[in-house]
Amino acid sequence: MSYIAPKDYAADPEIVAKILRTVSGQLELDWMKRVGEPAAFRPSEPTRGLTLDDINQGGYGPDKLPEVIRHNFSMAPRGALLPPGLPSLGYRVNRKSDVWADVAPSLFEEAKSRRWAPARDVPWSALDPTPHGDQHELALRQLATSLISIGLVSCDVAASWEWRMNQEFHEIKYLLCAQMFDAARIAEAFRKRALYGGGSLGVDSRPLGELLKSIFLSDTYPEASAAMNLLLFSWVQALGRHWAATASNRADVYLGTQLAQDATRFVTYGVDHVRSHLHSRPLQAEALADHLDMCENALVGALGAAEMIEPLVLVSGGFEPAAAFYARTADEYFRRCDAAGLGDRRDGSALTSFLGMLEGDSR
Amino acid sequence: MAVRFPSLDFFKALQKRTIDDKARFEKLGYCDTSFGVRIGDDLYAISFEVYECTGVRKATDTSDLDFVLEAPVELWREMVASILENKGADAAHSLNTLSHVGDRMKLVSHDAEGNDKFYRFMASLQEFFDQAHHLEVTL
Repeated sequence: MSYIAPKDYAADPEIVAKILRTVSGQLELDWMKRVGEPAAFRPSEPTRGLTLDDINQGGYGPDKLPEVIRHNFSMAPRGALLPPGLPSLGYRVNRKSDVWADVAPSLFEEAKSRRWAPARDVPWSALDPTPHGDQHELALRQLATSLISIGLVSCDVAASWEWRMNQEFHEIKYLLCAQMFDAARIAEAFRKRALYGGGSLGVDSRPLGELLKSIFLSDTYPEASAAMNLLLFSWVQALGRHWAATASNRADVYLGTQLAQDATRFVTYGVDHVRSHLHSRPLQAEALADHLDMCENALVGALGAAEMIEPLVLVSGGFEPAAAFYARTADEYFRRCDAAGLGDRRDGSALTSFLGMLEGDSR
Repeated sequence: MAVRFPSLDFFKALQKRTIDDKARFEKLGYCDTSFGVRIGDDLYAISFEVYECTGVRKATDTSDLDFVLEAPVELWREMVASILENKGADAAHSLNTLSHVGDRMKLVSHDAEGNDKFYRFMASLQEFFDQAHHLEVTL
């Protein structure tokens, strides 16, 4: 059932009387006597403009937030005065160390500043015709199909946590909105790439679906963030780099470069978020490690699936460069895990066993 | 006036291009990083803030740099030659391709986040080098 407000405002005599007084010109102006902490914030760097970091000072900033939010479950923005009786919006993510990363406000600004529009910014005519062969083109469309699924589910992951997160963490909520937009653009751009000219979508991959489901159904936000931002987007970033590096035309160079850049913002937040989370709550390391174990296992399924590895072999020019691409990406992912405070995850990871298998096959 | 590659003058000329072609760098967005370019034995430190290159210098220490791109002189020359010929690096000679699998150009950093600064700002950094096609360069 939809939420029903506690009174019938249109029929409440007290409210009606107040409205009539206002209409007749009798303004109470109580709200004007009770304003928040005064501020005089200006851009610290004029060329950058007024950023979130510029206005995050005093009671408006995040520094004085308690670890657990107990004072505000309403829609009230941080720093506003809170009258009694504000409705609770039922936020479930109320612990600062579960969401916070110092880099988040600047990543949000960066996401907007480095925006691009697939409709006009991609030089689509460079695909008329592509210099590479038919098989290569089909392989790219297959990879694009997987990227569309990744983009769509990444939107869902960010969306599924955004509305559960307390308003006091608005920078993180803003960033999740930017992630939704970035992820939607991945889906949009690669759908357009697959269908451009005489294109088509490829085959959906069941193992990729299992990986995305493992991430989407994470039990906690830190687990979802580690799985999506740190693990999944390490591979999305690398796919972007690989797409650009193996490109035969300007459109694919552009698409791959933009994908890598956008994906790196997810990764950067993931590293800083997990590190900040574990710094405050070191005992959570085991839960995150367990979840990553599960997701890495699912990732092996996705990476080993014919719908993923075979097109990669075709665009890479053979099995060995594709295996080297996997090895390098895994190495970068493990380095990020280490930087995030998760320690060396190489030992015992399903990814390591998988890479060992590939290495054996390539010898 | 011709500038020699590699040289500090070359990078100073590129720095000026980020102001002369301000609109192009603004379109690419914020770029905040200090990174190194190691050409043979020579290290150049390059700083970007907001949209523009704010400093280039010869350096010896990499501790304050997010990452360093390292390659032999010949490879850097090959890249700049491609930029001059094609008015921008072709796919085979972009910073991304050269530093991707195969490691013809090494991406070196003190930590994972340093590496990621390269990936985050790749288009701006490529544009910085691509601006060389507006210069008279002696290779």
